[in-house]
Amino acid sequence: MTDPSRACCSEYAALTRRGLFQGAALAGATTVFGSAVVTAAAASPTEADAVLVVLSLRGAADGLSLVVPHSDPVYYQARPQIAVPAERLLARDATFGLHPELAPMLPLWDAGRLAAVHGTGLPAPNRSHFAAMEELEDADPGSTTRRGWLNRLIGADGQESPLQGFNLGGGVLPTSLYGDDPVLSATDVASVGIAGDDEWDPKDLRRKSLHTLWDPTTGPLGGAMRSMFKAIDEFAPVKATANNRSRYPQGDLGAAMASAARVVRGNVGVTVVTVDHGDWDMHSDLGTLEWGGMRSNAAELASAVAAFFTDLGDQADKVTLVALSEFGRRVAQNANYGLDHGYGNAMFVAGAGVKGGRYYGTMPPLTGDVDSDVPVTTDYRSVLAEVVTTRFGASSAAVFPGFQPEQVGVMTSL
Amino acid sequence: MVGGGVASAVALPGSSEGVTYRPARWRGARLLSAADRHLAGRFAAGVTPALTAEVRAAGGGRAWFERQLAPGRIKDGQADQLGAWWPSLRLGPAELWRRQVQEIEFGWQVMESYQRWLLLRRIRTKRQVQETMTDFWLNHLNVPANGDATFTWRFDYDRRIRARALGSFRDILYAAVTHPAMGIYLDNAVSTKRHPNENLGRELLELHTVGRGAYTEEDVKNSARILTGWGVDMWRTWAAGYSADDHWVGRVKVMGFNHPNAHPDGRQVTRDYLTYLARHPATAQRIARRLATKFVRDQPPRALVDRLARVYLDNDTQIRPVLRSLVQSSAFRDSRGAKVRDPIEDVVATYRALGVRLHRPPANDDNHATRAVLWQCHGVGADPHGWPRPDGQPLDNESWATPARMLASMDVHWAMSGSWWPKVGITYRRHRDWLPRREIRLDVLVDHLSQQLLGTRSTARLLQACCDVTGLRPRTLITAEHDLVRWNFHRLLSTILDSPAHLTR
Repeated sequence: MTDPSRACCSEYAALTRRGLFQGAALAGATTVFGSAVVTAAAASPTEADAVLVVLSLRGAADGLSLVVPHSDPVYYQARPQIAVPAERLLARDATFGLHPELAPMLPLWDAGRLAAVHGTGLPAPNRSHFAAMEELEDADPGSTTRRGWLNRLIGADGQESPLQGFNLGGGVLPTSLYGDDPVLSATDVASVGIAGDDEWDPKDLRRKSLHTLWDPTTGPLGGAMRSMFKAIDEFAPVKATANNRSRYPQGDLGAAMASAARVVRGNVGVTVVTVDHGDWDMHSDLGTLEWGGMRSNAAELASAVAAFFTDLGDQADKVTLVALSEFGRRVAQNANYGLDHGYGNAMFVAGAGVKGGRYYGTMPPLTGDVDSDVPVTTDYRSVLAEVVTTRFGASSAAVFPGFQPEQVGVMTSL
Repeated sequence: MVGGGVASAVALPGSSEGVTYRPARWRGARLLSAADRHLAGRFAAGVTPALTAEVRAAGGGRAWFERQLAPGRIKDGQADQLGAWWPSLRLGPAELWRRQVQEIEFGWQVMESYQRWLLLRRIRTKRQVQETMTDFWLNHLNVPANGDATFTWRFDYDRRIRARALGSFRDILYAAVTHPAMGIYLDNAVSTKRHPNENLGRELLELHTVGRGAYTEEDVKNSARILTGWGVDMWRTWAAGYSADDHWVGRVKVMGFNHPNAHPDGRQVTRDYLTYLARHPATAQRIARRLATKFVRDQPPRALVDRLARVYLDNDTQIRPVLRSLVQSSAFRDSRGAKVRDPIEDVVATYRALGVRLHRPPANDDNHATRAVLWQCHGVGADPHGWPRPDGQPLDNESWATPARMLASMDVHWAMSGSWWPKVGITYRRHRDWLPRREIRLDVLVDHLSQQLLGTRSTARLLQACCDVTGLRPRTLITAEHDLVRWNFHRLLSTILDSPAHLTR
């Protein structure tokens, strides 16, 4: 990073549509350049005061297994084989308890840094995975443009840096991050870089060549290239962080959370990180405490989250993590030790600003018919709105247009 | 100009460190004129030497385009044979559902097969304009290809739209709106006279035809009532059929459409209503604007949109006359390089440019190139027909011009230029086979490669970039034994693929 050609002023120019429409004289000089607006952003990335990690449990995780309503006899009647026995639950209160495989997260819970909110979900049931994910993450029903709530959140501050949002998964963005504000998307820290700009190219010929090709190019692609050069340079501190992957569980989630921790520790202005954890669609073999998909997924989830907060070190006190799923599963088990698509679910909130060590939300007595759902008593947006208003000082109306959040109480006020 | 605008203005020799970059000339096969390359580039998935020869043999761009408008007369064996590569695409909805329930093959896997089939078709087909227009209509009338219940009917949906892609919008609209895949996706399959579900009735007006502002909420209700009856036996046999019992009967009025709708069999009123909508001037404007945005430029000139809309209406919604008018317009002529390739177009064009051969996948094929190509699209930022909303993937440039996309595109170009990934089920050209003769100067080689990969002559800028990346001078002599060919040829190929000319169409 010592080559002066890498600090060329053109790399600090970002061309964006938002800049054009929103008059972006915020971060420095603005000039009209052809049909686009060039905004010279600050020369160094802004450190983020608060970071939000959104962990999506893809496939519709069963909230009744993760956060068990042990005081409701219907739960046990409806799940004769797969219910979690009350005496095995962790962090039990009069109503709820945590799945025993969540034990690695228990220290966070006991320290008041982890909470669960039950009976959360969409305002109306939607049992199609893809359609529900779209609705949940767009979180702006009726809008004609596709822009997710996290993109609206990072768009609220007028900054254009693509480093503000990071999708750890690579490629196609989750709907939550999709929108006008550019973000990064990569499978891991190492892959944030120009292919071929590596140790086999000590003279930086690859970069030089790309500058030759692209520097005079106007229009959106030229702007994207300049923004890309700038972003990967600013990302360098992340690459310099220690990789503590070995302290995380095996598997994709551990790898992603280890990368997420590096992104946060690098302190380059990343405000929002999205991480996916798959394989929660347990129509069969959700299983028991001895075997099955729930046992292993819950263990992986808990140990990855616990390792993440440990790994964050002195950055941990600015990071809030939300884990949620597109919908919940039925109250009653099916004939295959599994559960079909349902409705209400549990959300986890951990880290900075969380009033943890307790359960939020309400769950009326369940019914155990074949089609019975967990009712939604808290719109999921109320939980998210509380996080973004308390941690980011964002306006709930800007992030969740047209929505009136209800008080959940899971976050300490700003 | 999106890319290349300035590059073409700098056709003059550049210089760096005392070296002059003057593009050399390789006398290869005849290229297309700039206008013909522009036309072929917009309506085909990449101008390869084979396509160049095809256009020339047809007698030039316009003649080629005219032939392409009659796809039935074009032999397409290479693409047709792909149908046998993914056997589950031949299965009906009931069988597909049985396989999902019995966990033999999940819906998302069937849709992956469909997406792979689509990508390989785009790479191979000789009916490029039909393929491009099929993609256009499937996007305009989007039913996402994913693991939701629509997977049971989604391939059949493609077949029906494909067969009409160059016909009339009237037919396309009727085929789409009455299709079970659309009915399942936008809830018309469960709409009844007691509870008309407004989802499809609304999107039909808002997205598929007239657009916002042309109708009222009362129109939406009537739109939904008209469409009741097109049922699907969901979660059981998935059989589709018209159910007169579910059809809402009584007078309906949507904008200027007024119908007694007196019969329980509402198929004719559906037909009349959709014909009315297809012929509506607001629909003509909407279709014309989308075509112009896709094939001419973002924010197309109003005069062009008006002209295309008029041609559309004068020809009873026939698409061929509209396309002819579009490619003959001065706005089209003046739009060279003005459109960004989206992630899928980029990946497909890269396969075509590198002239790789893909082989039939075995049953268990996790790392096979015919699967990897799908991951590559995902990595660059879009899944083929995976856009999860009814409005379809964006047609504009900005959506695909992001820093993350640039990085991901360069990743794909790099890995394929080096023949590194995908590795299985694919045959790359050997690097030394890119040399057109035993010994060649680098500047002449760059011109040859530009012709092969981009279908156009090299520029001073491209030559300079190729010299930069290889650390060689333009007049360096290259042979198969040169280090460039033995160790670094991927640097040269990827530089050409990373250029503005490859990332635009």
